[in-house]
Amino acid sequence: MKKYFAGVDIGSTMTKVVIIGDSIEATIIGPTGPEHRKLANKVMEDALVKAHLAFEDLTYIVATGYGRINVPFADRQITEITCHAKGLHYLLPTVKTIVDIGGQDSKGIKIKDGRVNNFVMNDKCAAGTGRFLEVIADSLNVPLEKLGEISISAERAAEISSTCTVFAEHEVTNQLANGESVANLIAGVHMSVATRVSSLVKKLQIEKDIAITGGGAKNIGLVRALEEKFGCPVLVPPEPLITGALGAAIMGKEIYEKFSREGQTPTRSGRGLEEARFFS
Amino acid sequence: MAFFLGIDIGSGYSKAVVCEDQTLISHAVMPSGGDYRESARRVAETALSKINISMNQVVYTVAAGYGATMVNFADKTSTDISCHAKGVHHLFPDVRTVIDIGTQYSRAISLDNNGSVVNFIMNEKCAGGSGKFLQIIARILHMDVNDIGSLSLTATKPVEFTTACAVFAESEAVSRISEGALPADILAGLHNAMASKITTLITRIGLTPDFAVTGGGAKDIGLVKAIETELEKSVLTTDEPHITAALGAALLASESL
Repeated sequence: MKKYFAGVDIGSTMTKVVIIGDSIEATIIGPTGPEHRKLANKVMEDALVKAHLAFEDLTYIVATGYGRINVPFADRQITEITCHAKGLHYLLPTVKTIVDIGGQDSKGIKIKDGRVNNFVMNDKCAAGTGRFLEVIADSLNVPLEKLGEISISAERAAEISSTCTVFAEHEVTNQLANGESVANLIAGVHMSVATRVSSLVKKLQIEKDIAITGGGAKNIGLVRALEEKFGCPVLVPPEPLITGALGAAIMGKEIYEKFSREGQTPTRSGRGLEEARFFS
Repeated sequence: MAFFLGIDIGSGYSKAVVCEDQTLISHAVMPSGGDYRESARRVAETALSKINISMNQVVYTVAAGYGATMVNFADKTSTDISCHAKGVHHLFPDVRTVIDIGTQYSRAISLDNNGSVVNFIMNEKCAGGSGKFLQIIARILHMDVNDIGSLSLTATKPVEFTTACAVFAESEAVSRISEGALPADILAGLHNAMASKITTLITRIGLTPDFAVTGGGAKDIGLVKAIETELEKSVLTTDEPHITAALGAALLASESL
């Protein structure tokens, strides 16, 4: 009988679920709200519907991401660094350096033989994270997902001298008042994030290929700015938000297979979706 | 007897001090706004009109601060760091380490026993240790920035913040508020986060007593107490910490003839 495995990635901004069998069966992405537990259930239910499966069909479930302890039905929790590397290696096996730009952090991960070799992370300062883009998008009254598209039409990138999100927001407002175009400002903001992220990732010995994941990868302007900073093309997986959840599902499959080879089965959490809902 | 004027145009506030010889006799503080030339003129006129003297009676004027070059009636400009040092030394001759918290920066200045600047370290890259952070906190709590210090002192269980980033701390504060944390505890937690950021600067420049806190941030008693706790040292402040550099500029003016 075919076995199915699920990975749940609860990020600060988005929650993702991936179900795999022999290949990817279903992926679901939804915003992370204040109630992680309820949300994890909801997103998992949606993914099961999409995959035409019941909860009982899942052999093993791994949770990852910043909210991973809030997935009661998960059998195991694994850090997002490990899962990210695993998921990306499956999708783009030639990649040796991952740049992940999330809603509230940014990371650099080095992969060697499909495993994490080293990593750097910034979650202490909003500069260089998705939050920086969110703040600027808000103050320019532009939807976050439009930033990339708009910046492509820029004549040049406006100079944003402040690193700090708070000060950069002021700078952008002032430059706008002085007649700078929205497109040039957004291009400048992308350059600022790219500068910050590349100086973080350069602490690792960068090796090609480089891939970008996380919400930041959906912004074509930011991807171009990073390519300029790194001086080489940057690969973007088809769905850059799900690498963590996909990696979690693959980890689950590998854990299960390792136990099977020894004639055992891994311990399950024993919690179902219904129960989880009861406790939430 | 002669009148001297010191002007300090900061990014947030403009300050003016009038000295009669070496004695402070009037001062004024107002928001800088968008037009520094106009703010300089207005803040100077306000300080002078309080004691009924006119601009023509001023013998010498020194301007300092972010917008110093915009003060077109000044006889000379000086750096706000040296004016700061001069002002602090005049008020507290024993101070060797000054912590200055402005709207867009925080900095530590070390002085020798003549009040000359030995060294300084500036943080203008991050809003986390600046007055801007206090304004953000006040806004999310719907409070006047002048009232947050005293409320912070009533905290019983200060909230712990994971970062001193003004942006992340703001959303953390909003989450804690929605979970029912009291404003006083939120404020105390944020003051602690700021104090730890500011203390890093002071530690880098050297922990030589006495310590003084100046700039607009020094008006926040909650922040001053948090810095004292973090440093494990007592710090001096004045009633009008905003005008320290303007005072130094006025004193410099009195020496410039």
